[in-house]
Amino acid sequence: MTVSIEGLVIFAFAVVLGVIVAKIVGIYIRRSLADKIPKNELNLILKIVNVSMVAVFVLFALPFVGVNPSGLIAAGGFAGLVVGFASRSVVANLVSGIFLMAERPIRIGDQIMVGDIAGFVEDIQILSTIIRTYDGLFVRIPNEKMFTSDIVNLVANPVRRFEYVVGISYKDDAKKAIEIIKKVIDEHPFALKNPEPQIFVNELGESSVNIVVRVWSPSSVWYDVKTELLWKIKVELDKAGIEIPFPQRVVWLRRERDELGKDVST
Amino acid sequence: MFVPIELRKEDGRLIYVRGEIRKILPECEIIVNPVEPINLPKNVTRYLEIDFPPVLIKPNAIETIYLKFPIEIGVFAKEGDKITVVDVFTFDKPKYTLYGTPKNGVVCRWFWSEVYYEIPEVDPLKHGVLKLVIKNGGDWVEVGKVVLDCYAMKIYYSEFASCWAEMKILSKISAETTFVDKPIIGGMKKAIELYTTRRLIGRSFTMEWGLK
Repeated sequence: MTVSIEGLVIFAFAVVLGVIVAKIVGIYIRRSLADKIPKNELNLILKIVNVSMVAVFVLFALPFVGVNPSGLIAAGGFAGLVVGFASRSVVANLVSGIFLMAERPIRIGDQIMVGDIAGFVEDIQILSTIIRTYDGLFVRIPNEKMFTSDIVNLVANPVRRFEYVVGISYKDDAKKAIEIIKKVIDEHPFALKNPEPQIFVNELGESSVNIVVRVWSPSSVWYDVKTELLWKIKVELDKAGIEIPFPQRVVWLRRERDELGKDVST
Repeated sequence: MFVPIELRKEDGRLIYVRGEIRKILPECEIIVNPVEPINLPKNVTRYLEIDFPPVLIKPNAIETIYLKFPIEIGVFAKEGDKITVVDVFTFDKPKYTLYGTPKNGVVCRWFWSEVYYEIPEVDPLKHGVLKLVIKNGGDWVEVGKVVLDCYAMKIYYSEFASCWAEMKILSKISAETTFVDKPIIGGMKKAIELYTTRRLIGRSFTMEWGLK
């Protein structure tokens, strides 16, 4: 098979042209749809359009470098076997990526947990998914691993619930404490009105009467609300003189005396 | 009520101050008007739910009621026909809720209102008046809440803010709500909206998780 210089130049020109056309079409699509569809879906469309357009230009240009696209199909049998075996994990990641995009358990921007990695989904690529952990680390997870792992999407549903256990001392009035906690929750804008918060005495503990507080909040601000409310509850209980006790144990010491009444306890 | 904003001129620039917020603006027109009540403390939704004492609607009837709704106040800078938001604040205490189920529902700004049959008096810095036309083409139905898509909200104002919405009853548990782009009385001015660019996304909302 001989390849002429002209053929190579035409092939290179076609590939470059394909990239440029894909870029221009991408910009046009981005401008047209930016306000109308979510960012992650737009990115997915852009990727598909980009890859498809470049592939079309490459296919058209292949005959100029002596490759007949229809011949590729015939040669695909054996070559496919060899390449497929060599690139098994690449193909597995690719197929997993396609399934992930179709099933869509996660979207760009979601907060997720995969194994012991938690953070924001930065990108879902053909072969891998990029996570930015809460402490700012870049983590690349192969799509095959993503597809076979348990994915916890922290923001898939519009709301989430969190729970505290607030222990008050036995001498304090639990009913009053519940009223105070309820008022603090009512005043927080993102502690949802419905589903109603639940506040009740759950356990008579060793050192405290334990009140369970369950609050629903929009998933996007869930963590902020959780951290803000707990301290507000503590402050308001303090103001009302309600004690949040330390773990404590009452120890009784028995005094032993001899016949003369002298203390002989050790 | 004291409005805690200050605008002064310094070295040919405008200094906008509200509490800890301080912004330097070029000389331009400043507009203050009521805006969609879904921005504070942070924008988490596009929906507003107003709960009210249940109203029983006769079969094949149209009922018009007035409700109060919360407003936020937007400060805009305008030059020619270009407008930008400088600040948004509120005198009301925002509260949010979930309409629907934790899996499929929508987070909404929540508000409680009494039902009025004529335009009620409102605190114009906190609340506006919503004219709600309920159209019932079916059997008796009880309505105790309305959920509206604020991205399509049309606020008009004069002495107070107002908007007009329609609720088309689809069944005993579902309805479609839409804003009407008209003032509820004459002489009102249309407020600058924060969400005009997203209007194409959808102008109506289907309440499918109950009407009370």
